Amino acid sequence: MTSPSVPRVVGTSVPPKNWEERTSGTDAYAGDLDPPGTLTAHVLRSPHPYARIVSLDTERARRMPGVHAVITAADFPVDTPYIHAEGTHSDRHPLARDVVRFVGEEVAAVAAETAEQARAAAEAIVVRYRRPRRRPPLTMDAALKRRSLRLHRRPSGEHNVSVHDTGQWGDPETGRDAATMSVEGTFHYPRVSHACMEPNTTLAHWHADTGTLELWTSTQAPWFVTTEVAHVLGLDPARVICRDVAVGGGFGSKSKVCEHEALAAALSIAAGRPVRLAYTREEEFAATKPRHAFRVRLRSAADDGGRLRALDARLDVDNGAYNHYGPSIMKVGIKTLGSIYRPDGVAWDARLIDTALPPGGQFRGYGSPQVAFAMESQADELAERLGIDPIDFRLRNANEPGTTTLSGARLGSARLAECLAAVRDAIGWDEKRRDRRPLRGVGVACGMHGSGSYAHGGSNRSDAAVDLFEDGRARVRFGGADAGTGQRTVLAQIAAEELGLDADDVDVLMADGELTPFDMGAWSSRGTHMGGHAVRKAAAELAETVCGLAAEKLGSDDVRLAGGRAHALDADIALGDLVALSPDARDGALSHETSYVDPRMETFGGGNPRPNVSASYTFAAHAVEVEVDEVTGRVRVLDYVAAHDIGRAINPAMAEGQVIGGVAQGLGAALGEELVYESGRTVNPAYINYALPRAADLPPVRVVLIEGDEEAGPYDAKSVGEMPIVPPAPAVANAVYDAIGVRIRDLPITPDKVLRALAERDGRPARRYRIAARPSRWWIELLRRAYPFGVHWTLHRFGTRLARRVPAREIESVERPADTAGAVALTAAGGTAVGGNTDLAPQRQQRLIAPTTLVRLSAVPALRTITDRDDGALDIGAAVTLDALAAATRGRLDAVADAVESIASAQIRAVATVGGNLVQAKRCWFFRNGFDCYKRGGAACPCYAVQGDHRFYHAAIGGHRCQAVTPSDLGTVFTALDARVLLSGPAGDRTVAIGDFYTGPGETCLRPGELVTAVRVPASARDRRCVFDKLQLWSGDFAVVSVALSAAVTAGRWDGTRVVLGAVAPTPWRARATEAGCDGARFDSARFRALLDGELARHGHPLAGNDWKLDAALGMAVRAAGRMEGDQ
Amino acid sequence: MTRSRRTELDVNGTVVEVDARPGEPLLSVLRGGLGLRGAKEACGRGECGACTVLLDGVPVMSCVLMVEEAEHGRITTAEGLAEEHRELRRAFAEKGGFQCGFCTPGQIVRAGALLDEAAGLGDEELRAAMSGNICRCTGYTQIIDAIRQAAAHRETA
Repeated sequence: MTSPSVPRVVGTSVPPKNWEERTSGTDAYAGDLDPPGTLTAHVLRSPHPYARIVSLDTERARRMPGVHAVITAADFPVDTPYIHAEGTHSDRHPLARDVVRFVGEEVAAVAAETAEQARAAAEAIVVRYRRPRRRPPLTMDAALKRRSLRLHRRPSGEHNVSVHDTGQWGDPETGRDAATMSVEGTFHYPRVSHACMEPNTTLAHWHADTGTLELWTSTQAPWFVTTEVAHVLGLDPARVICRDVAVGGGFGSKSKVCEHEALAAALSIAAGRPVRLAYTREEEFAATKPRHAFRVRLRSAADDGGRLRALDARLDVDNGAYNHYGPSIMKVGIKTLGSIYRPDGVAWDARLIDTALPPGGQFRGYGSPQVAFAMESQADELAERLGIDPIDFRLRNANEPGTTTLSGARLGSARLAECLAAVRDAIGWDEKRRDRRPLRGVGVACGMHGSGSYAHGGSNRSDAAVDLFEDGRARVRFGGADAGTGQRTVLAQIAAEELGLDADDVDVLMADGELTPFDMGAWSSRGTHMGGHAVRKAAAELAETVCGLAAEKLGSDDVRLAGGRAHALDADIALGDLVALSPDARDGALSHETSYVDPRMETFGGGNPRPNVSASYTFAAHAVEVEVDEVTGRVRVLDYVAAHDIGRAINPAMAEGQVIGGVAQGLGAALGEELVYESGRTVNPAYINYALPRAADLPPVRVVLIEGDEEAGPYDAKSVGEMPIVPPAPAVANAVYDAIGVRIRDLPITPDKVLRALAERDGRPARRYRIAARPSRWWIELLRRAYPFGVHWTLHRFGTRLARRVPAREIESVERPADTAGAVALTAAGGTAVGGNTDLAPQRQQRLIAPTTLVRLSAVPALRTITDRDDGALDIGAAVTLDALAAATRGRLDAVADAVESIASAQIRAVATVGGNLVQAKRCWFFRNGFDCYKRGGAACPCYAVQGDHRFYHAAIGGHRCQAVTPSDLGTVFTALDARVLLSGPAGDRTVAIGDFYTGPGETCLRPGELVTAVRVPASARDRRCVFDKLQLWSGDFAVVSVALSAAVTAGRWDGTRVVLGAVAPTPWRARATEAGCDGARFDSARFRALLDGELARHGHPLAGNDWKLDAALGMAVRAAGRMEGDQ
Repeated sequence: MTRSRRTELDVNGTVVEVDARPGEPLLSVLRGGLGLRGAKEACGRGECGACTVLLDGVPVMSCVLMVEEAEHGRITTAEGLAEEHRELRRAFAEKGGFQCGFCTPGQIVRAGALLDEAAGLGDEELRAAMSGNICRCTGYTQIIDAIRQAAAHRETA
């Protein structure tokens, strides 16, 4: 009698709640709120991976202008670490007590009137650290060595092992015995950052009069924030009140407390004012808790019939410096072994290893992607050994509905087979496997995930309330938070469904500590299952009441709700009009609150080794087609299909959105994303150093929702949030294998790994560089060899104490010169010339420069012009924007336009200038990200690239103490065109060949006060052919390798050949012998290759990990030369 | 502390006076003195596009644009484009072009400047043009679909 049996609103793609506000920029995130008197906070973080805090002096900081509060560990109750996974796992305090265990650990925090004041005060806090004699363990292998420093005393009793878990499910021994073959391998999944677009932010407001704390915070789980903040501050949880606020992405990271909440709260209490703490992007990458790196040694065994029989796994999980949820993430990694397929048994030996790195945290997939990468790679290896199609192999082993998995999951619906069939069809699997195209391959991978998890006491329960108002509108009150999952909309749809309303008629209040009932938040893919059930139940019960009121009013028992009215046979009444008829109505609203407790979920903690922790389980199969560039090693994704066993989608567009977004993140981890550390410090804490996919890096992702009944779900719905991030990496790895016969077991699958593996596959010997015969390189070679034997350590530990530091200074004036002479006068007087300023803010933040007077070259009209000279040369003014340059050169100097369009983004190219591009500082990620390196700190400091990750952005030719390269792509292409650089300075004007312009990595021959005024491309350039190519890790990245070739080609004969390699040497590097060898002859590809190969062998001096760049450069140059010929 | 300077800016069609420090990023002036919170600071380094605004109709990253560079131009923010880009915004909502919404004002501003030419752009070109705006939620497919839908609507309108 209540709701109609066929859902109307559920199952339709209603647009997101708040779309008007979200798309017009008027929705408020925590950082958009600015109550009067709000202070800004800054956190002082540890610069050391491990040190004892000897003393901490905040006196000076407290007296600095604008400062209202400075907090240290002393401001928190003693012996009260975060609860985290509880008990002995609880090991971290809001601010470091006595010891810091990773670079970035919070030591103190300041609240001041302005951000600048807060930062200045934080830097004025004097901390004396004592570093231990023993080296802190920065890798899992180092941590396990007994001579390494021990980070914690752990119940496992093992050195730096937080948790050691061994066990088995089923009967692995029988499986091993029955198997006729096995494959074995070690798989590595690195640390990956969530990189949410909204930086973590809390606005905390302490009300001393009432003793209540209000929090507007970017979280997925207000309940955990409230509980943890109250705990570490010794407050009553009922007086810690989160408020509903827009949240900019979570992906698991914000599903538990994120540290900033407690710091902002403590500062607000200390200052008696509202305090906003917003992380910088650098903090986002370097100080939040990324995905745990896993090393999975797996042995998969199968029998001749194609049945998977046993899995034996050794898992090493990089915990980082504190536990957080590492123990439970490892557990879910183990669970994955017993989830997708049905071998006889699985056995594991898993260790959670403490390292002095930022602690890992919850990330979409939660341990499953790391283990599934190994399992799904080996599924393909076994299929190949068996001579079975990889999809057929999976079909034979897929778990079936109505069964219980080895891990204890009691499956209701399970449609993995249907998912596999769907992707087989959609990607064109059979045709593509049959009609092979070189360097192309297809791959498949599967995954399984629960809908919610009974991982914590109370997480099988979710409460909800629904209010019906006299105006006929309804409101859902729900305690979770929607960080972008669409839960808010889904809950509105469900309430609308039950009450016979449109989704537009239902508002949703979430996260409010006073008004919303109990829910533990959006994690473990529980939003739709738990929240959906709770709101369904609350709304249905309210509908029942409303129908009762209507029945009485209309005099009929046959009442149904539709269109905002209660309908009886021959009469109806608006729902709003029924509110006042209820004796329970208060303030014009009829409210109902209820509690949903899931009957199927079993707790992790109850001593049951195989609990059915979720109520339903979703499966997925993904298929991908890739193309491998065997010249650069780059893998391009051509097509992607994801089929998801979703039960039924409550909002199909949003469900598909979750899938596509998860795939995109999974592809990022598959092909580029990786947090890099050196000496414990994050090397790449910036979007520009982190290869997450941009729009041009991804193909359209196609989604197939496999729908059907699921008894456990609300309206048959199963989970969708986490599932899609699991299959992409193994699907891509399998496709790469299919394309080139090379199996990559180490994510991400970057060009260096692919090229190396190809060389190995083909048995190509490494190029020999004969350093012994090149005395000019001896000194550098000696130094590099000595680095691991104490040189690096000594320079790092002691030399950096002498490092030069640039003090922070404010910009005092921005000058607008009328002409070039005026600009020179200003720079001669100490001003700093700027073009588009695109690198000014980053360099100031990075403390590389601190100019006080800026001289705007863009204000000088003469510098913004492109002039065709009478002699045929082209003069390009220094302040010409990159966009203008591209427009002016397209069609007549296409290589220049090509180079421009590979640079950064449209927005940057609109303002960045030619001069600025040419003179930009090196982009070495050590130099740029706070390392006291040789170039930044001086001769006593080490070059961190020698031992650090130098695979992509460092020199393989001619490196000296600094291994950086000149980043300018224009520098490379202009070198190939014999351009000259026009300079103007206090001593007059001069012109230099571009080859003489660069003197080092991003360093030029500019004298003090001198400016670049123009670049002159000679007339001869127009009659030459010129080609530019660039390898980059993401669209808009700096060159990993670039090549620019040019020659005057007459009747097939090359003259004046230029072969220029960018990003492989400190300055754009000309292969002069190759050039000479090409001149005066017809082009011959084999000869060109031999010439350049020989020249690279004579000049190359790669670091341990970047010799592949010269292989890529060689191949790219040969290909570019072919393009030159093809241009005829 | 450096003294602020009274600065005149043309924002969303209205000339306003605001205090700005020398070299202050336009974003900071918009969000601070002018209270326009549509442009977001997600990186502060010109690397993600969340702060995109139009300067004389051209999309730029306001977090690395000095206020002095904007002084004699027309600045348009997401708020100022809400009416003009109503169809584009609706397309974002219908196609699933946003999830958390934090990058969305920047995406809308960037995409809006492409609408006239979008119909003539291939998928690769359109994706390249949008590559300065990072989205971590959607995987971009739906953003591209939304731009296509809005561009088609503009053509038929």
